[in-house]
Amino acid sequence: MARIGIFLCHCGTNIAGVVNISQVREAVKDIPQVVLVEESKYMCSEMGQGGIREAIEKNKLDRVIISACSPRMHENTFRKTVADAGLNPYLLEIANVREQDSWVHADDKEAATEKAIALTRTAVAKALLNQPLTPKRVGLTKRALVIGGGIAGIQAALDIANAGHPVVLVEREPTIGGRMAQLDKTFPTLDCSSCILTPRMVEANQHPNITIFTYSEVMSVSGFVGNFKVQIRQKARHVDSVKCTGCGICWQKCPDLVPSEFDTGLGGRKIIYVPFAQAIPNVPVIDMPNCRYVKHLEAAKEGKKLPPCRICEKLCPTGAIDWEQEDQVLTEDFGAIVVATGFKPFDYGRYTEFGAGKYPDVIGLLQLERLLSASGPTNGELKRPSDGAHPKTVVFLSCIGSRDERMGKPYCSKVCCMVMAKQAILLKDHDPEIQPYVFYIDVRAGGKDYEEFYQRSQREQGVLWLRGRVSKLYQDNGKVIVMGEDSLMGRPVEIAADLVVMATGMEANDGAVDLAQTLHISYDTHGFMVEAHPKLRPLETNTDGIFLAGTVSGPRDIPETVAQGSGVAAKVLGLFSKDELATDPTVAYVDAMRCTGCFLCAEVCPYGAIDKEPSRDGRLLAKVNESLCKGCGLCVAGCRGNCINLRGFTNQQVIEEIMALCR
Amino acid sequence: MTVNITEQIQEKAREILSSGQVELIIGYQRASDGVTARPAFIRKAENVAKLIFDQTCTHNLAKYAIEHRGKSMAIVAKACDTFGINVLIQENQIIREKTYVIGVNCPGVVEVSFGQVGDKLQYRCQICQEHAPAVYDYVAGDPVEEKPLGFDPYIKVKVLEALSQEERIAFWEKHFERCIRCYACRNACPQCYCTECVVEQIDPDWVGIPIQVPEKQIFHVIRAFHLAGRCIGCNECERSCPVGIPLSLMNMKFSQDVEDQFGYKPGRDPEVCAPLATYQPDENLGIGG
Ligand SMILES: Cc1cc2nc3c(=O)[nH]c(=O)nc-3n(C[C@H](O)[C@H](O)[C@H](O)COP(=O)(O)OP(=O)(O)OC[C@H]3O[C@@H](n4cnc5c(N)ncnc54)[C@H](O)[C@@H]3O)c2cc1C
Ligand code: SF4
Ligand code: SF4
Ligand code: SF4
Ligand code: SF4
Ligand code: SF4
Repeated sequence: MARIGIFLCHCGTNIAGVVNISQVREAVKDIPQVVLVEESKYMCSEMGQGGIREAIEKNKLDRVIISACSPRMHENTFRKTVADAGLNPYLLEIANVREQDSWVHADDKEAATEKAIALTRTAVAKALLNQPLTPKRVGLTKRALVIGGGIAGIQAALDIANAGHPVVLVEREPTIGGRMAQLDKTFPTLDCSSCILTPRMVEANQHPNITIFTYSEVMSVSGFVGNFKVQIRQKARHVDSVKCTGCGICWQKCPDLVPSEFDTGLGGRKIIYVPFAQAIPNVPVIDMPNCRYVKHLEAAKEGKKLPPCRICEKLCPTGAIDWEQEDQVLTEDFGAIVVATGFKPFDYGRYTEFGAGKYPDVIGLLQLERLLSASGPTNGELKRPSDGAHPKTVVFLSCIGSRDERMGKPYCSKVCCMVMAKQAILLKDHDPEIQPYVFYIDVRAGGKDYEEFYQRSQREQGVLWLRGRVSKLYQDNGKVIVMGEDSLMGRPVEIAADLVVMATGMEANDGAVDLAQTLHISYDTHGFMVEAHPKLRPLETNTDGIFLAGTVSGPRDIPETVAQGSGVAAKVLGLFSKDELATDPTVAYVDAMRCTGCFLCAEVCPYGAIDKEPSRDGRLLAKVNESLCKGCGLCVAGCRGNCINLRGFTNQQVIEEIMALCR
Repeated sequence: MTVNITEQIQEKAREILSSGQVELIIGYQRASDGVTARPAFIRKAENVAKLIFDQTCTHNLAKYAIEHRGKSMAIVAKACDTFGINVLIQENQIIREKTYVIGVNCPGVVEVSFGQVGDKLQYRCQICQEHAPAVYDYVAGDPVEEKPLGFDPYIKVKVLEALSQEERIAFWEKHFERCIRCYACRNACPQCYCTECVVEQIDPDWVGIPIQVPEKQIFHVIRAFHLAGRCIGCNECERSCPVGIPLSLMNMKFSQDVEDQFGYKPGRDPEVCAPLATYQPDENLGIGG
């Protein structure tokens, strides 16, 4: 015989205002094995919890039912409460009579009361089959992997490393730095972007606890929180980074030039190159498909002759050029993973009415950053791409690839309004004769000092902000004609511009979805990675031990990105402060006597938690990896022969609940 | 032609048994009625002369392969039987490397019952459009020319679908009333290999013990769901039913749905993940908004 106590919470008037609690009390008090029914105005309050503890001890309760809010809110609270009274926390059952009842049925109190009774009865039925469960303990590797070496990743790596834990920073490009390295000055303070970024890059590079792998990518991830195994591919640079001193002779003398990715195609770079002067590491890579020597080798295969070049190799004083170098695959252990792979700017070529990216003097925000930057392709002299002339009339178009259902981008990219204000001010700075115009839908300047900054662009700098949309651009006689409307004045506007700037929004980075799938974390329809909770757990993912920082989860500016980088470090350090991790015991388990080894469970398990284990007759049968299993129950629903079950939520319990509802 | 296939099978069987490549041949032999076929289990080379193949060889021998899993064996398989073998490989019930498949280019099998051989092809063979085995190590018989059907292979399902809901319920109730819950259908099915079928489990007792229409209905619905996207249409279930319940209609309905929704037919390629066991991020089943 069990001794069940039922605790009915009023939740102020949240529940009691709709559900007739005394009627519930009457209906459940005579259920067999129920020895006590109590009420409290707030069960979660210290007094409410004290009442529960006291009742357990006094009445020797061995099952506890709490009819209250969703277990997502207070399950942990109440598990602790009952554990404090000496009861196994998994003997507790919560009936959700708030979210699933009083809140949604406020218009029908009678039916809500009936439902509260039914929910409490099902909880009793389930609780009777509850078993005491104990978490298992596993060790952890106190070493973090940070994927993405933008400002988010750098900040996270530094904060974790400064707390004394080793960090590996994996960056896809030949250098760390991310987008911030490409920016000229930053709003709202107008401090030079690389002046504030490069010290951080250097610090990360020199930090004894940080290992940087550039030109590298994560290939596979297995394991679980505290115990991840990660394969990292280091692409061949064809330059020996130990021998290379970064003297730069090779890239000075390399004879060929191709458009520079770093300069958004506006300038050129050599075939052997470092993306920019302060690159870290200061070791070049050879862009093999474009290299003369590679072309020579390929032509030779077809019997043709091309000069072999190899100038870099001849001139390198340390013999660092290595044509034979191959990709390296490293397998490393980590306890936590931070994903900080950033964003990419929207491709404005998708707007056919704006020239589909074909008009040379229609550029994106990032390109203007490069044109304004002293380290840019024009050394900071503002020259437009078509003829190198100094533009005098510059028009900005806001919300390109943002707030535009047509492009499948309904969201606001958050920074573009401020970037336009910043760039318009910088244009004035470069040449006071420039007249910037900004077509906007509305200006979003939420952020410390942002509104003031935007106002300054208008009042002090004479930037003309026009509310309205642009319908068409066309080229005419060295100008780009902008046809728009000023919706405040209610009239069409036509401006003959020397340069047009598309305020391109932020998009999920290339490869983001693949990476999310490799990591088994969720992503939204736009490819941004999804937080465990948008408000309360913005840095966690649904997979324990994998965290998000920066623009990988949505558009943000630098201050917010950096704050997330530090925040994520706090999360990782919290994890690393433990020597052992407790695993949730509400996981699946296989009945090996029944299992046929069909592995449908493995196919449907989203967490790869099903292992294959040989049985005595040599056949492979399913076995749950309890550290990986999240207790989602998909395998249980999938298994035809009912050979796998969920602790704390067994098929038997579900059936008992249904039976209780039918009684 | 029949002589030809039989000889080919015997020759192959002799070869692989005497070389020790396999320890068991699962094939067909003449039944005690002298006219129909029954499964044969040949372990010695001197017994291969018992093996036959003709249009009475109706059984899907894949079922027996499960019982002998782990052994190195050869199995005689018609085209449709090879689909069953592929599903079993996909679901890890038999090991491809240990299973020598003697595939048969199958001309179709006829209606048979004990002591009687009909002259009409079985319905599944009338609608068959894949007479060549999907997996094999050796093929007996000449390729069969695939001719256009000239009618919808799912026509019987469509006729049933055209009825009203009440009529359909009445149709199935009438049939399930006669079911004696002997489980012959399940036991004959090569895809029903569970150690303990859910309908016989007692904790929880998913399906009550009574032999009443609701229980029988639930049994058949569970089985139909468990076979969805896995049934290969061998019709062993219907053929073994002692009271003649048209189980194929139920299985065909699911096969049709799976084919319509996912363009998938089970057992064609064991490497292709079964659609009901996986999820493609971009798939749209027309569910929700
Ligand atoms: C034109 C423009 C101007 C801006 N101006 C300002 C400003 O003035 N003030 C301000 O506050 N904000 C500004 N921003 C916003 C700012 O750029 C971002 O907030 C910031 O760069 C985000 O940093 P991050 O680390 O999240 O991403 P990123 O800078 O994008 O860094 C991500 C890094 O991850 C790497 N990576 C990507 N995928 C992988 C992978 N699979 N494996 C390994 N590495 C990978 C990338 O190569 C990159 O180095 C501006 C943005 C734009 C577009
Ligand atoms: S689905 Fe069931 S029978 Fe198949 S392997 Fe998993 S537990 Fe075993
Ligand atoms: S409960 Fe979910 S996570 Fe656990 S093994 Fe089953 S499918 Fe995988
Ligand atoms: S009906 Fe379902 S549970 Fe029963 S044997 Fe067939 S597949 Fe297994
Ligand atoms: S359900 Fe019937 S037709 Fe389908 S595979 Fe099983 S026995 Fe064959
Ligand atoms: S073989 Fe026929 S009678 Fe037997 S259980 Fe199946 S349907 Fe029922």
